[in-house]
Amino acid sequence: MGIYMLIMRTVDEAAAQQAMADAGLDFDKMIETMGRFNEELFDAGVLVAMEGLEEAALGAVVDYSSTPPVVTDGPYGETKELFNGYWQIDVPTKEAAIEWALKVPAGPGVKTEIRRVPTIDEFPSDNPWIQREIEMRTEMLRSQLQKAEG
Amino acid sequence: MSKFMLIMRGTDAAKDAFEQTDFTEVIAAMGAYNESMLKAGVMVGGDGLALEPGLVVDFDQTPPVVTDGPYGETKELFNGFWVLEVPTIEEAAEWAKRAPLPPGNKLEVRRITGPEDFPADNEWIQKEKEWQEHGYSESSATDA
Repeated sequence: MGIYMLIMRTVDEAAAQQAMADAGLDFDKMIETMGRFNEELFDAGVLVAMEGLEEAALGAVVDYSSTPPVVTDGPYGETKELFNGYWQIDVPTKEAAIEWALKVPAGPGVKTEIRRVPTIDEFPSDNPWIQREIEMRTEMLRSQLQKAEG
Repeated sequence: MSKFMLIMRGTDAAKDAFEQTDFTEVIAAMGAYNESMLKAGVMVGGDGLALEPGLVVDFDQTPPVVTDGPYGETKELFNGFWVLEVPTIEEAAEWAKRAPLPPGNKLEVRRITGPEDFPADNEWIQKEKEWQEHGYSESSATDA
């Protein structure tokens, strides 16, 4: 088993939205299409996490090429090929991750990058910071679950 | 409060420099940084991505086409991320500035959309909320 991240990128938000409008998809339809895909991941028991991001123009970029680092308003680099969101899925093989990525409800101008997320057991377990990370991850999970349960 | 994602991107040169750095030092610097955010109660999650090549699925054609990675140019690869929960993007950027990253790296700071960005009466939005409360998947393995 491995955790794979499916990273959604679009050439340009406006172009992607225009393409959707041209295809006659309204916002509700878009939510439903994505919702059905997400439900399929969830029902298959492979979904670990997912998030969507607000438009890049409203973001910021921190650049470490000078000291102290410089903060500028977004978007990051060119507006083509923006990072817009991701899914993390837990599947046995890269091929299985590809199968899921092929099902993403996306059209022209969209690409999904598939990258494996190394697990903590790939790092030296006798390192105190790696041990600390295991504790921190447990703590983060616990507080997120508490929040979700209200 | 909003959730913000800090997206780590680095040039090829930065990646080479990183590979020359003592790994134990890197782990210690990153660990101390993560701990500072956890103690401040702002860190929600994060992951690094494997350096091994990934794949790209392109939806320009039907069916979509799968090619070997990397995605686009190898400069400015996506290498990992943190998710923080803080009141403003300025505060997220303050945390971002403290990341132990050498020259050649950038962090993109973006707000993660929440339920407030979507119509609450939409059945799919309601479903997503249930999945979240469910921790997404009973069978999903956590790192811990």
